[in-house]
Amino acid sequence: MDTGAGDGLDTEVVKSQLLGNALKRGALVARVGDPGLLDGSQPGQRPVDLLPQVQSMVVLAGAAPRAGEWSSPRVEVMETTGTADRISALGNSLARTIEETYGYYAMNVPTTTDGDDRAFLDFRAAAVASGAGTSSLAGPVLHPEHGFLYLAVVLTSLPLGHDGPLTSGVCPAPACSEMWDASGTTPCMDVCPIDRGGCIGGELSQGVVIGRRFDQNRCRDRTYQYWVPGYQAVLERVLDEPDAARRKMMLYGSYFTRTLWSITYSGVAQGQCFECIRACPVGGDRRDLQ
Amino acid sequence: MAEVPGPAASGLVDDGDADQLAALTEEIRRVGLTSGATVVGIAPTSAFNDYVPVGHRPEDFLPGARSVVVAGTPGPSKAAWQSPNRRLMEITGYDFRENVASLVMAEHIEVHHGYRAIQAPSLPTSGHLPPLSMMLAAVLAGLGTRSIAANIVLNPEFGLLYYAAVISTMPLLPDRQLDENVCPARSCIRLYEQEGRTPCMAVCPATEGGCIDATIQDGRIASSFYDRERCATRAMNFGIRGHIKQVEMLADMDDPEQRRGMLNSDDFRRNMAGIGRFKESVAQCFECMRVCPVGRYRRKLK
Repeated sequence: MDTGAGDGLDTEVVKSQLLGNALKRGALVARVGDPGLLDGSQPGQRPVDLLPQVQSMVVLAGAAPRAGEWSSPRVEVMETTGTADRISALGNSLARTIEETYGYYAMNVPTTTDGDDRAFLDFRAAAVASGAGTSSLAGPVLHPEHGFLYLAVVLTSLPLGHDGPLTSGVCPAPACSEMWDASGTTPCMDVCPIDRGGCIGGELSQGVVIGRRFDQNRCRDRTYQYWVPGYQAVLERVLDEPDAARRKMMLYGSYFTRTLWSITYSGVAQGQCFECIRACPVGGDRRDLQ
Repeated sequence: MAEVPGPAASGLVDDGDADQLAALTEEIRRVGLTSGATVVGIAPTSAFNDYVPVGHRPEDFLPGARSVVVAGTPGPSKAAWQSPNRRLMEITGYDFRENVASLVMAEHIEVHHGYRAIQAPSLPTSGHLPPLSMMLAAVLAGLGTRSIAANIVLNPEFGLLYYAAVISTMPLLPDRQLDENVCPARSCIRLYEQEGRTPCMAVCPATEGGCIDATIQDGRIASSFYDRERCATRAMNFGIRGHIKQVEMLADMDDPEQRRGMLNSDDFRRNMAGIGRFKESVAQCFECMRVCPVGRYRRKLK
């Protein structure tokens, strides 16, 4: 594509500055994708539906749980510190910089959901289109070096050179292919097998994923016990409870309190299950420290 | 508009000469601007006394306070104004940068200058009145004037801004209040003379179920009417207010299935999202500001 902006801006230099700053400020991956690659999404969820002038899709990835968090024997540590808003804040900052410094429209796509609990944009598709990683059996997009990362997507009218998707898949990792050949499963399928009450299933052939099964509802039930779904569930129980003393006990109980903590402090207790990623070898070496 | 006391009148020069005061003031302003604020203005604490009762003045929150430093930021990105999905404005309408800037300035004042500084309390703690009015603070700091459109304080250059403030015992050189009212803009005066209404009145007329009405004489606001309750029910459907309303409805329902339907509804979830991530779904109507010409040229990008 033509990466020269009409106003004489050297967009290669601008891209280098923007992505360089994002990396300096905490992103582990910063790539640019072609928003047109998401034109096949549902109407309303295409980049052009959010920003008609969109030319580029910047994907930032980072803010993964730290090595110390992964190694903690207390599950509450991962629950309360494993999800961070840092990458979303970086997306906001990048969008502001594009608008205020270069005079092009830029939008940090909200990480919340629109009506009917639909995402505004498929962040995983955006990450794949920009080459920030590839799809995995476990669900999250995996970066070849860092593995599981949180994502921010900035849509902009600034024409930046597109990096494009990665040329080879990250999942399955060689170790997982070997495990499949030896025992017919992979670490993520083994830790959460869909046919034995878990969420993940699939099939490999010659080192390639040829089939994938994922029970999204079951995964959601287990991963998001607190937060809004937990609050909805416990409030329903409270309202259905005829006994005043039991109602009071539920309202003042630890579970109700934790659901509210997780709602009001958005970085707290949003996710209660990281086991498929804990077992994933991609980026695992980065979790091994002294 | 009230006469603004200069540094001498407000007793601010007793700690040093005017040049030093000006230099310190610029230093604090620069800290705010580099920390995310788009504009920074300074009001003397004494200026509040003419407008608000005891309990809502800076010294009520920080005894010995001498300056109120106000930071303003634009809120919605220009791209959000452009989006055909109106939910984008709801969600990306507010990014707290003015709060960040005010906290950084407060810390800078305490750490580097040894004066006390607090972020001014602006969210209602009882009733619906703010402890300290950010709108008044912005006007007294010379950052804007009140408008016909929902009384929003308009900055002459940027239009709609969100404000946060620092109350400090540090003496600073106050800014002058604006000499001219920002609203009505010239084009609005012309429209009013031709059609008897301004763009904001046309988009949300109080006489036709909207929230805004006003009269203009000699290019100035002669009277204005703003239906705050109506505006609040339209502009703030989600978040705490919406949730309180739904809890009341849930408690009044006898049918468990009906309760379950409401608990799992889109509206309930969006209310919770509005509460959980305050920047999300804080406001659902920006129409009077969408048509306001003040600062509009700044929303036009490539």
